Amino acid sequence: MADSSDMAQTNLPVIASTQAQTTATGDHPTSQVTQSLPIREAKSTKTPTSADNVNAKKNVAPKPSMSTTDGPTVAGGEKPLTPAELKKKAKAEKAARRAKEKLAKEGGAGAAGSPASGAPQGRPPVTPKKDASGASMAQKAQRATHTRRGSAPTGHGGDEPVKKEDKSVAVFGHLYGQPRRTTIAGAGKEVHPAVLALGLQLRDYVVCGSSARCVATLLAFKRVIESYTTPLGTSLSRHLTTHLSHQITYLSTCRPLSITQGNAIRALKLAISSIDPSTPELSAKATLCEFIDNFIREKITVADQVIAASAAQKVQDGDVIVTFAGSSIVKQTLLSAHKQGKRFRVSIIDSRPLFEGKNMARALANAGLDVQYSLVHGISHAIKDATKVFLGAHAMTSNGRLYSRVGTALVAMSAKERAGGVEVPVIVCCETVKFTDRVALDSIVVNEIADADELVSAQSAQQLTGVTDPVAPSKPDNKKGGKGASNAAKPATLASDLETSSSPLSNWKDNSNLQLLNIMYDVTPAEYVDMVVTEMGSLPPSAVPIVHRMTE
Amino acid sequence: MPSTSLALTPGLGSFLKSLKTNPVETSIENLISLLKRRQIRHSRSCATATAYLLRHVVSVCKTSDPLKLIERVQTVGRRLVAAQPREMVVGNVVRRVLGLIRDEAEDDHDAEFALSEAGSESQPHTPRAFDDPSSSLPLDRDALSLRGDGAERQTSRPTLHSMFSLLSHPEAEFSPISTPGTQSPNGRIPPHGAGGKDVKAEVLEGIGEIIDELGQVDDQIASYALEHIHSNEIILTHTSSTTVQKFLVKAATKRKFTVIHAESFPNNHEATHATVSGKSVNDEENLSTEAFQKPLIALGITVILIPDSAVFALMSRVNKVILGTHSVLANGGLVAAAGTRVIARAAKVHQTPVVVVSGVYKLSPVYPFDFESLIEYGDASKVLPYEDGDLVDQIDVQNPIYDYVPAELVDLYITNLGGHAPSYLYRIVSDHYRKEDISF
Repeated sequence: MADSSDMAQTNLPVIASTQAQTTATGDHPTSQVTQSLPIREAKSTKTPTSADNVNAKKNVAPKPSMSTTDGPTVAGGEKPLTPAELKKKAKAEKAARRAKEKLAKEGGAGAAGSPASGAPQGRPPVTPKKDASGASMAQKAQRATHTRRGSAPTGHGGDEPVKKEDKSVAVFGHLYGQPRRTTIAGAGKEVHPAVLALGLQLRDYVVCGSSARCVATLLAFKRVIESYTTPLGTSLSRHLTTHLSHQITYLSTCRPLSITQGNAIRALKLAISSIDPSTPELSAKATLCEFIDNFIREKITVADQVIAASAAQKVQDGDVIVTFAGSSIVKQTLLSAHKQGKRFRVSIIDSRPLFEGKNMARALANAGLDVQYSLVHGISHAIKDATKVFLGAHAMTSNGRLYSRVGTALVAMSAKERAGGVEVPVIVCCETVKFTDRVALDSIVVNEIADADELVSAQSAQQLTGVTDPVAPSKPDNKKGGKGASNAAKPATLASDLETSSSPLSNWKDNSNLQLLNIMYDVTPAEYVDMVVTEMGSLPPSAVPIVHRMTE
Repeated sequence: MPSTSLALTPGLGSFLKSLKTNPVETSIENLISLLKRRQIRHSRSCATATAYLLRHVVSVCKTSDPLKLIERVQTVGRRLVAAQPREMVVGNVVRRVLGLIRDEAEDDHDAEFALSEAGSESQPHTPRAFDDPSSSLPLDRDALSLRGDGAERQTSRPTLHSMFSLLSHPEAEFSPISTPGTQSPNGRIPPHGAGGKDVKAEVLEGIGEIIDELGQVDDQIASYALEHIHSNEIILTHTSSTTVQKFLVKAATKRKFTVIHAESFPNNHEATHATVSGKSVNDEENLSTEAFQKPLIALGITVILIPDSAVFALMSRVNKVILGTHSVLANGGLVAAAGTRVIARAAKVHQTPVVVVSGVYKLSPVYPFDFESLIEYGDASKVLPYEDGDLVDQIDVQNPIYDYVPAELVDLYITNLGGHAPSYLYRIVSDHYRKEDISF
């Protein structure tokens, strides 16, 4: 991964050029991308200014990328690299960068010059427009590289391992793998543009929640399959699997795969391998696409409807329902209960740094529900008058434990141990695709570590606006306008760059012995869960392994 | 300078500065408004402000008649408590001062009584009452002067009455005495005849000691740290409580351990971040009450900052939970920063001991029959910023500031008097506050 930040620098302009050049629709990654240029889907960004830039850049870009790589970068997409190789690669890249800088000085074309400075210069014409998701995406990637470079655990050179060691929490040492990919640079040439885009969306939590991630992955793979042609000398059922595994590897470097993604991929691979090699390619691809559609429909879309319908029956008039963070299925349940005319109150508990509950609160409030919103610190208050707790799941483990967004266990625990002895029923809404045969006792062995910088308040505010960008394009603009004026709202001021430096954590990585831990999930003991509502019925948590075996 | 800073940042510092110059009534009003506006917030700041104010009140009081003094302090105290009923330390300090005046009055009475009337029943009473404090002093762990022996005296009194003075001298009938005699709160027995000093001076001295105690309390608590933290522990804490920090820092001078710090978003996270990273925030109140302090990380202690939501996930690795508190109730329950309750619960579930560090001044004789009344709600914009204005309009945003934590979730209290089981707290309460002052 030491290469990724470098590659980001090297390839950013390159991406921009390819964006404009190739409109990513039907191109074959294998044939086109001989220069190892990562192609990504660009919906627009074809404003004249950017096009000019691109042309200017285009003259420069290919050269260094060629000199950079040939050997190393093509291998860059693959994971297994020995340290020696890594070093060699780093060296090669450094050389390439130098060459490029030199070239920039000679060429004098300011905007297209050295990528490190050229990217920010070249960008401005594009960014203010803010029209395209592509642009905002690139911007985001850029920001990410900045933070990485500033305080990165992943620099290059000798001091890097020491620093990294310092900042990873010892107990979770096994979970700190490679840091998440920040750009699409260095992705293998086999990776399909749809998958490239998805990877970044996953990383930035634009696509978040295990069902959404599963669906998005399957849809992206569907496009991969649609644009796939079997190379000569192999059969589709053999080669497509390996082709897909490149995509999967890429996705997992952006964010570790969810259980649902794993389950879906397993099913898809099974479907691929069961295709008769003699089947003509077109019909085989049609079969697979149909399989994916069916999988999404059966396992998620329809399953959600069934779950929402049956869980909504559990809601009664006068209930006070507590839920944690933003589960799509719980939202659906509550909305359908509301549609049935039931009168109840919802209390949403939310947590840093993702604030997923906000969207849920907004959706429910817009639908006319009575919503109360508090953060983790208010759990004991929210639970006081609760009559039911509805929770979403990331996964259900085979020992009946609920693996879900960190903080869920606190809510479930509070529901079960309320003073006064009255227990609040805890109901988990979960599709069977989220069942896994893995087991978990604590939240430490199996978990996911997110970037600790998300916890630094300024950072998280930024990230948040970044996430909402594509969803509600008008809002961030308003926010930004208001930011200068309103000093009263703290997060607003925090988000502004000036305040960033004043946050006590702003450069926490310089403080030795200080570590930030940002885990994504926790494991709720089975005894806190009273019922799991699935599309196959309402079960006790102990039934999870049985159902999982049935659905396999 | 003072006038501008007064106008700009009302708080403990400005209040104390103004105390010297302003007339007493203005000062009272000033503190009341500070309390009402929550410009004084930390329990210790409240306690200190109250103590200083009462000292001022007593010192400008014309009379030295204990009854009048009591009355005066009671009226002031009632107004302060009415201003912020949830800030229990205010009431606690008022009670302590009242108890102090009563003690002085009674000592006078006792002295007078012993000299004038060598009655057979009261004969054993007098020596003991005098004897008691001095003899008990060595037993008192940190020789905390005033309170320690005030306590002892009080514990001994009921027995005495029950045994000797059932008929003759019920406490309520102790009347203020004309001839003032004195006994210093330290338990030194002053020469009687010479003690023509007035009660007031003694009371002022006593209040001075309360103020001193408030200044030292964290260090005293910290002195027990090594008894409770062993090497290589993993300790979880919450909020930026200075008591906890000092406790941990003290332990860190001798032992190596790991601290997991939950950030207590949204009410205290900035202070917490500042605490863990060692960068001071511009909190005037903090600066005035405590010297700049080295952060734990500078002492080689690994500090892991986590969001509050990750508490359950990490609890299985935690050896001990050390919590600060806002106030402690007589039943052993506590009112502490929101989020404390789930942390204590999670610790209980994982069989992790929960230790609460708190000065005795936070110990309140209040029994929580109605928890709700103790909970304060704060600024909702901290939970949901105004940027989400459309959302704020539609939903009910809650930001509780405090949690009530029942006694069964706490394993140990460490006060400046030492460690106590929650079930023992009522005893400390009865040592520190006089029955007649509990609802003054």
